[in-house]
Parts: sequence; structure tokens; C-alpha cells
Amino acid sequence: MIVLADVISSTIVFAVPLLLVAMGGMFSERSGIINIALEGIMIIGALMGCLMMRWLDPLVMNGQLGPQLAMLIATLFAGACGVVFSVLLAFASINLKADQTIGGTALNMLAPALAIVLTWVVQGQGQTTILIPTWSRITEANFGLTLEKGSFIQALLFKNFYLTTILTVVLFAAAVILMYKTKFGLRLRSCGEHPQAAASVGINVFKMRYAGVLISGFLGGIGGLAFTLAAGSGFQSSVAGYGFLALAVMIFGNWKPWSILGASLFFALFKVIGAYASSIPFMPKFKELEGVSSYLWPMLPYIITMILLVLTSKKSRAPKAEGIPYDKGMR
Amino acid sequence: MSEYVIEMLNITKEFPGIKANDNITLQLKKGEVHALLGENGAGKSTLMSVLFGLYQPEAGTIKKDGKVVKINNPNDANALHIGMVHQHFKLVEIFTVLDNIILGAEPNKMGFLQKAEARKKVLELSEKYGLQVDPDAKIEDISVGMQQRVEILKMLYRDNEILIFDEPTAVLTPQEIDELMEIMRNFTKEGKSILFITHKLNEIMAVADRCTVLRKGKYMGTVEIKDTTKEELSRMMVGRDVKFEVDKGEQHLGDVVLDVQNVTVPSKLHSNNAVKDVSFQVRAGEIVCLAGIEGNGQTQFVYALTGLDKMSRGKITLCGHDITKAKIRDRSKLGMSHIPEDRHKHGLVLDFSLEQNMVLQRYWQPEFQKFGFIRNKEVRKYTDRLIEQYDIRSGQGAVTTARSMSGGNQQKAIVAREIDKNPELLVAVQPTRGLDVGAIEYIHKQLVAQRDAGKAVLLVSLELEEVMSVPDRILVMYEGEIVGEFDPKKTTVQELGLYMAGAKNMYRDVEKKGGAEA
Amino acid sequence: MKKGLISVLSSVISILIGLIFGLLLLLAVNPAQAFPKFGEMLVAGFSSSAKFAKVLYQAAPLIMTGLSVAFAFKTGLFNIGASGQYTVGAFCALACGIIFQMPWWVCLLASIVAGAIWGFFPGLFKSLFNVNEVITSIMFNWIGMMLVNLLCMNLKNAAGKNVMLPTAWVSSPIKDRTAALSYANPKAMIPKMGLDKLLDSNFMNISIFIAIIVAVIMWVILNRTTFGYELKACGFNKNASIYAGINAKRNIVLSMVIAGALAGLGGGIYYLAGTAEYTIQKLLLPMGFNGISVALLATSNPIGTIFSALFISYIQVGGESLQPVFAKEMIDIIIAVIIYLSAFALLTKTVISRFVHLDKSNVNAEPALTVSPKTDEKPTLKESEGEKA
Repeated sequence: MIVLADVISSTIVFAVPLLLVAMGGMFSERSGIINIALEGIMIIGALMGCLMMRWLDPLVMNGQLGPQLAMLIATLFAGACGVVFSVLLAFASINLKADQTIGGTALNMLAPALAIVLTWVVQGQGQTTILIPTWSRITEANFGLTLEKGSFIQALLFKNFYLTTILTVVLFAAAVILMYKTKFGLRLRSCGEHPQAAASVGINVFKMRYAGVLISGFLGGIGGLAFTLAAGSGFQSSVAGYGFLALAVMIFGNWKPWSILGASLFFALFKVIGAYASSIPFMPKFKELEGVSSYLWPMLPYIITMILLVLTSKKSRAPKAEGIPYDKGMR
Repeated sequence: MSEYVIEMLNITKEFPGIKANDNITLQLKKGEVHALLGENGAGKSTLMSVLFGLYQPEAGTIKKDGKVVKINNPNDANALHIGMVHQHFKLVEIFTVLDNIILGAEPNKMGFLQKAEARKKVLELSEKYGLQVDPDAKIEDISVGMQQRVEILKMLYRDNEILIFDEPTAVLTPQEIDELMEIMRNFTKEGKSILFITHKLNEIMAVADRCTVLRKGKYMGTVEIKDTTKEELSRMMVGRDVKFEVDKGEQHLGDVVLDVQNVTVPSKLHSNNAVKDVSFQVRAGEIVCLAGIEGNGQTQFVYALTGLDKMSRGKITLCGHDITKAKIRDRSKLGMSHIPEDRHKHGLVLDFSLEQNMVLQRYWQPEFQKFGFIRNKEVRKYTDRLIEQYDIRSGQGAVTTARSMSGGNQQKAIVAREIDKNPELLVAVQPTRGLDVGAIEYIHKQLVAQRDAGKAVLLVSLELEEVMSVPDRILVMYEGEIVGEFDPKKTTVQELGLYMAGAKNMYRDVEKKGGAEA
Repeated sequence: MKKGLISVLSSVISILIGLIFGLLLLLAVNPAQAFPKFGEMLVAGFSSSAKFAKVLYQAAPLIMTGLSVAFAFKTGLFNIGASGQYTVGAFCALACGIIFQMPWWVCLLASIVAGAIWGFFPGLFKSLFNVNEVITSIMFNWIGMMLVNLLCMNLKNAAGKNVMLPTAWVSSPIKDRTAALSYANPKAMIPKMGLDKLLDSNFMNISIFIAIIVAVIMWVILNRTTFGYELKACGFNKNASIYAGINAKRNIVLSMVIAGALAGLGGGIYYLAGTAEYTIQKLLLPMGFNGISVALLATSNPIGTIFSALFISYIQVGGESLQPVFAKEMIDIIIAVIIYLSAFALLTKTVISRFVHLDKSNVNAEPALTVSPKTDEKPTLKESEGEKA
């Protein structure tokens, strides 16, 4: 039973970054810009969020600042830094009409290097890890509850509970409404499908595409922090390919929010099944092999992704104008 | 109060290397249909884009009701009640009709869409002007004629008073064209003013009050329609007398070259078939034209014929060989040449040089390669010959990048390449689309020369003038079926139109009659 | 020729701006040490014959991964999977040498085959199912890396010892890296032909020449053969290549297979030098990603990759001299900035050509409105199949 609770709560905590980042990718791509830089944006978000937590740590320890308020500041800071970083992609691909894939690749190379350099600067020479303070987690104590440590409810609700989880629910609802119920969403989607049509009715395609990329920066930045929280071992200048996994989730989710939600949960579940394989009764154990838990099971989400992308490829429909720079015509 | 609602005075618009509009003046009276006439590339679209705020002119002024205005973007144009139906519709295919109409002018409260009131207004407008649409249908599911109604509703929804129609009739049947003319007249009765861009003289004579003519970016004058003739207009447009006929030699029909039997092609978009049970033959020494409105299965049929796509049923025989399942390369080897509909998508590799493009169908032949290595000298020699023989003009000869060539010369290059292969069957799909009169005449001559040389030609065309003048036989396609066969000398545009619109079907009507008799 | 010159010029400008950016960053982090360390970094590669040998030693695999990415680019594919192909290539070369005791050239063939297989799958998925190759090759990077780790840790010899690890060969507690070729199988080491003595460095062998020869072969294939013509036609405009009767699907697969083989060979020549062992990895090997930089900087020209790989290898060797005052990742930042700039190479090129008045080819270009919209294939994450009738 405890395993079940663990699996459910870990699934949710790993689904959160995937969902956030894939939703970010969705905003960018439906405005017409391929955002392959999500991995880099996540790294920047995670780095800056962790640094902010580090800076706020003394205040929290002194009791001058509530821990969850500090988390909120760190999360928003991570999002804001993601926005700033994504401006680089927007500028290259919208203003300069650069190849979006290459621009994104450059940013993916830049982010981890920048993270290492900054970690050195902040933590001192040779330091590669930024630790996460324990107050980042929401515990039963925050609700004035006392639950037995290791009980089902405790494991299900409070073992892996972060502010980012709550925030994700809010952001997801907001994103769905923004995309389908507002003037902004209609205009954004038109720019990813037929920017010339959008321009002909007076929509500023550049502005909408900037909006799409910057929203993806915001969600990607928060997603990066959420990933680092979920991974648990502190920030080490990497998000382990989650940005790319989120892209796959977005494609598998067919660029639609509800499908993306389903896809994120699905992938997170497989990731967690891999991690908990040794404690799940009916899973094969491969006792005679070495490195099973660190290398064999972690392959699972990638292999599943591959298979699913192949199986669903026929139904997949990308925004039509995605990847094509918009040219107003010669002026 | 000025006599004119819109005046475009001495407009000059330059693009790198070309003056698209050179000191052009156009004055539009309230309540008139004003035609803007000119060949492809004469600068009509550029001028209208200036009026619509998509381009800024280098010189000249625009006046609305006598006051100078500045139009920087489509929003400014909209605020001045100027609306435009673009030649290539500006519609988002996966959106509904309603979403497309309100896009850019969305009724909203605090940014949240209020679609109910928009729907009411759209339905009222469509009722009032007889523009029936289903507001909840997706654009990709409705016909081209319906899509044009959506474009017109977009203007009406914005209460536009000055309506620009850019080549609106290209996608319509003759009957639909008549309806559109009627709608235009209704608009002018209400005091709306219309700018009607076209290169079709008949339509101008039928509907316009006045006409401004452009040629190669220059202003040729404005005339009253009641004081002019078709011939005079065409002289103003082209600068010389234009023959409307195509000279053809006597016909010498030969053997059957292409035999198409019961070809059926599934649609990519819906569960219906795009091409249904099509059968016909093309013989040596004749030009057969596949006519019809855009989107009635011609493209899919050509894809299946040339091997670009698979068919689900039927049989195709070329010169006695069954090519139903043959590869594209094998069809080419058996004597099929293909001038594709979209020269940028299929016809050319735009980033290749001209010479690389000229051997696109032949680079593998021994003439051009040895042990897998390309014989560059031979390629150059061959290209130089074609450039000479077919009068292909390009900046740097054989090494010019195809992208930098003009549309007419790109098309000439493709025609040269496909004809010089010496095919038994030439499939030419809309070979004159977007070209000026000189290039059109040239390409028509080449097609006729193939016929006179005893080759079979299958021409797919949307242009009625071309359909009536070039072929020896016309097949009309409607919703994937062949609905009639005609001799161009014995039929009329009106008769063809009834078939193109699906109002008549030669074969089904016969069946019905036969059924009744039996 | 002029076009080539402009490409080189725009790359040089990108490099200069990247270096200036790096210097500014150093100044921001530690102003006192910035100039001396930056200067040291710039000359490090030429400071001794041993350092120079190291530049060549690292350049060889970089040329290969660079060629891998460049070759795929020419066919319109983005091979971001060079890292995985490089890793499996390295493993198979080592396994062939250590387990089967084969000579070096057989091991290199094994690395080529392994890399080719790892490129084959993304190519196949792209051509059959139109699944974007960027996503698939990323997945294959991780799968490849983890699989290689598992194999290194678990392959046993007859005696039941881990054959890939040092334990099977010498008494050593090391478990996180493969056995050194110097004792496992010296025959599998790439010949040095006296070059090590010439440059007085153990790092030196003939691999740089292998890489250069392969680059030249790739140039010939792309620019002189019908196969290269087909691949490029496919890359520039897939629809037109299909129209011309070219088997685009087969070419996509072949192109990825060749790209994979090139990257695999890169892994082979690096690890068969005998100077480094394969270490069990937690993250993807950077050599494949650096190949992207090499290819972009060379504007996908095979001959250009030789020079851009030498450059990147040179500043990476220089980067080591930044330590311990600065993180050597400073170099990665410089490279990333250079790539970012080369992403809008087209813009730089137009600016340059306008500056030197070379671009007269556009004279008879038409205004934008009369040119129908570009239909060339763009790298998109998933191209939709549906097409309007």
C-alpha cells in the first residue's frame, strides 16, 4: 500500500515539471516558434530558483519569512529568469528570422555552461551542487496536522508536496482558459497556423510570437525548478533531458492542453515505475545484473516515448506555420 | 465633400531591383464598381496592398473623402472602413467560420471572447446578403466558394464601406461568378464602393463602371466602361493586339497513349474519395483538358497519375504498359513528363542552380553521369542549349540560383526540361498560372507544338479562356468524378459552368433517363 | 568562390564576437585575472608540442561528429543524436578490441557499424512514420548511453569476470571505467607511426589523418556524385526530389545511417587511441553536441568541418588553462555564443555581401507578393501529413 502511495505521489511530482514545460512548448509552438530550447530554459529556471532559495534561506531560518512565501518568491523568480532567457530565442527567431532549431540548440548549450560558471561564482571554486533547503516541502505541519510518518495518507499527500504542485494546477487551468476562451488565445493560435491571415486582420504577428515564446520561458523556468525539487538531490546544472522529454510529451499530446496533461501523467508514471521497480512486487528484478536501477529502468520512459510517437504519428498534427519565420514582406 | 471616397495619388512603390508601382493614380467614386486591370506582375496587388496598409509607398498620397490619410497597417485600413478579399484567402483552416470572421475584431469582455453576439451579427449579415454559411463548420471542410463568402462576411462584419476584391473569380464557376456580380451590385446600391482587381475583360465589361489599367508597374489610364471595348482594354493592358485564339494545325489522331480506367483515390482529409471512378483515354496528337473548379479532385488525380500518390482502385496504362503501381522514375522512363501545378513545391529545387534543376529528371542518365559521378561539363552544355532554345532568362546563366529567377522564367525552365525529355505523354497542370500574356502565349504554343508533333497532352486547367482555346477535347471534373465531355468548338462557357458546378452530369442524367425508360 | 568567402567571413565574425563576450564574462567574474588568463587561453594550444598534439587528438573525433551533423544537415535532417552514435561506436570498438582481441582497423569497422545502426532507427522512424528525428535521436542518445553502461558493467568472460572492466585483466578495484588497451589488447590501439615521437606526446596518432581523409571523401560524395545530388535535392526540397523520382524515404534513412557511421567512427578513433578509457556516464557525452557546433561553424561544408573542429579543439585545450581560477565551461559559453550568432548566419552573410557589393544575383527577384509562399521544407518538430485538397 505504501508503495502505491509512493508511486502516486511521485508520479504527480514528476508529472508537474513535464506538464508545465510541455504547456510552455505548446504556447510557443502554437504561436509558430519551435522551442527546442526548453531544456536550457529549465536549467536556467532551476538554477535561479535554487539560488533564490539559497539567498532566502537565512531569512526563513530566522523566521523573518514564511517558508512557502519564500518558495513563491523563488518560483516566480525562476519563471522570470526563464522569460529573460527565452528572449534570446525570441529575438533570434522572430526578429532575425534565424533557424529556430539551431538557435534553440545554442541556448541548450549555453544554459548548463552558464549554470556551472554561476554555481562556481556563488558557491566557490569547484562546487557543482546547489542544495535545496528542507523547508521547500509542504508538510502536514503546515496544515496543523500530525500524521504518523510512513502512513499511507502521509506518503500519499505530504511526502512529495510542493508549492509548485498547487501552482501547476492553477497555471494549467489558466492556460486552458487563456488558450481557448480569450481573444489572446485565438490570436496566438492564428499566428501559428496562418500568420499572413493574422496579419491581414491587423494582428501583430511579432508581438504574438514574442508572447508565445515568453510564456514558454515562464512555464519552462518554473518547470525547471519543479524538476529539481522532484529529483531531490539538489541542482547540478542539468535537468537530465527533461526539456526534450517535455517536447515529446507535447507532440504526443498533439499540442492540446488536456492531452498534454494525460501524456505527462503517463510518462511520469513510467519514470516512477522504473524508479520503484525493485519495491513493486510483480516487476521483474534482474537480480543477476548490475546497474539495473540506475541504467536499465531509467531507459523505460525513453523507449515508451519512442514507441508511442511512432504509434500516434498518423494522428499528429503540428501547427502549420511552426518553424517558418514570418516575413512581413520587404520594407 | 470630395467626389471620390478614395484617392491614391502618384503612388510609387519599389522593391529591390524593381519598381512595382511607378507614379500610379487611382480614384474611386462612391457607389461605383471600379476595375483595376493589368497582367500578372503589372503591380495591381502591390497597389492594393499599399491601400490596405501592408506596404508603405516611397512616394504619393492617399486621400479618404478628400482628406490625406496615412495607412500603416491593416488596422488603419479597417478604421477607414477599407476591407479586402485577398486572392489567396487569408483563412485559418482549423478554425471555424465564426472564429475566422471575428479574428482581429473579436467582441470581448476583459479579453474574454463573447461569441454569442458575434454569431447573431454574422447570421443577420449572411441572411441579408444571401451569403449562406455554417458558422460552426471548419474552413478545411467547406468548399472554396463558401470560403470566399466567409472572406466577404469578414468585411461586412467590420462594416467596411470600401471593398477590395483581388481576383475573386478565379476560383468560381461561371454561375457563381454571376452571383458574385449580383452581390457586388447590391453592395453598390447600398452606397458601398468596390475595387475589383482582375485580368479578365469579360467580367469588367459586365460589372464595372470605370476601369484603371496598369502595365508593368505604370499607369495606363482610366476609362469609362460604357465608352470602351474589350479590344481597347486589352491593348491598354498588354501594349499590343492580343489574339484570343490559339493557332493549331490539322489534327492527326494516333494510337491511345494514356488509358485511365476506373481510377479512385482516397482523400487525405475525409473518409470520402477525392477521385471517384475516373476513366478516359488520351491519344497521340490531341490535347485533352481536364477542367473544373479548384479542389474537385484534379490535383489528387494528377498525383495518382504521375505516381506522387497511391490510388485505391483502377488501372492506368501508358503506351501499352501497365503503370498502375509503377515508380515515378519508371513512369518517366516510359515517356511521361509532368509540368507540376506548384512549381515551387514540386517543379524546382529553388536552392539549386538552374543547371542542377535542368537535369533533375535526367541526372542519372549515362549522358550526365559516369560511375555515379556527375559529368558537370555535359550538364553545363545541356543547360546552355536549353537556355538558348527555350529563351530562359536568368541573371548568371546556368549557375543562377533558381530562387532568384522570375516566375515566368522558372516556369519556362520547367517546360523546357519536361518537353526536351521528348515524352510520349505531357501532363501539364495549370502551366500558365500567374504568368503574363507573353509567357502564356509561349507556353500554349509549346503545348500545341507537342500535339502537332504527334504527342499526347493532358492539360489540367482552371482558366476558362484556356479551357476553351487550347484543347481538342474537354473533360469536366466535379467532386472527383468526370461529369461531362465536350468539344470546345461546340460548347459554351455557360454549358461548361453548369457541369463544373455539379448542376448537370452527362452520365448520371443519361442513367436516370435510361432508368425511366426501362 | 565568393559565396564561400562570405561564409568564412561570417564564421570569423561570429568567432570574434564570441571571444569578446567570453572576455567580458571573465572580467565580470574576476577582473584581476581576466586578461592574463584569457591571453593564456588563446595561446595554450601552441604553447608546447604536447598541447598541440592534444589539439589534434581531440580534433579528430570532433571532425567526425561534425561531419556527422553536417552530412545530415545537407539532407535536411538535424542529427542531434551524434552523441549516442558516438557512444555506441566507442563501445563497440572497445568491445571488439577487448573481448574479441581484434586489430585496430577491425575495431574501427565495428564502431562504424554500431554508429550506423544507431543512426538507422531515427532515420527509419522519420521516413516511415514522419516522427521528428530531433526527438528520436535525443531518445536514442539516452538509450545508447544507458545501454553501453549496462553492457560495460555486465558483460562477463568465461571465468565469470567483468570482461570490459580492468578487474578481468589486472588486479584493480576500478569499476567505473573500461580496461585500458595498453594491457587488454595493444593491437587495438591506432598506430602512431612515429608521430608520438615527433610531437613528443602520447596523444598523437594517425587519427587526425583518418578524419581528414573521411572529410574529403564526404565532400566528394556531396558535391561530385549523383548520390550527393539526390541527398541535397532531398534536403532542399523533399517534394521536388520525390517528383524527380528520387526515393526520398530511402535517402533519409541512408543519410542518417551515414551520419551515424561517421559519429560512430569518431567514438572509435577517440577511444582506440589508448590514452583514455570509457568511463561509466551519468550524462550524455559532450563530443556529439560539440559536433553540432563544428558543423554549424563550418556551414555544413565537409572541408570546413576540418578547420572548425581544429578551432574548437584549440580553444577547448585553451580552456583547461583557465582552471582553477575560472570554470573551463567558460569555453562552452563562448562556443554557445558563437553558435547562437551563426544561427542567423544568413543575416550576417547578407550584411557582409551588401557591404562588399557582391550580391547581384537578386536583381530579377520579384516583389514579395507575386512570389508564391515558400514551400520548402523547414525543420519542424512534426510535419503534418494532411494537405488541403
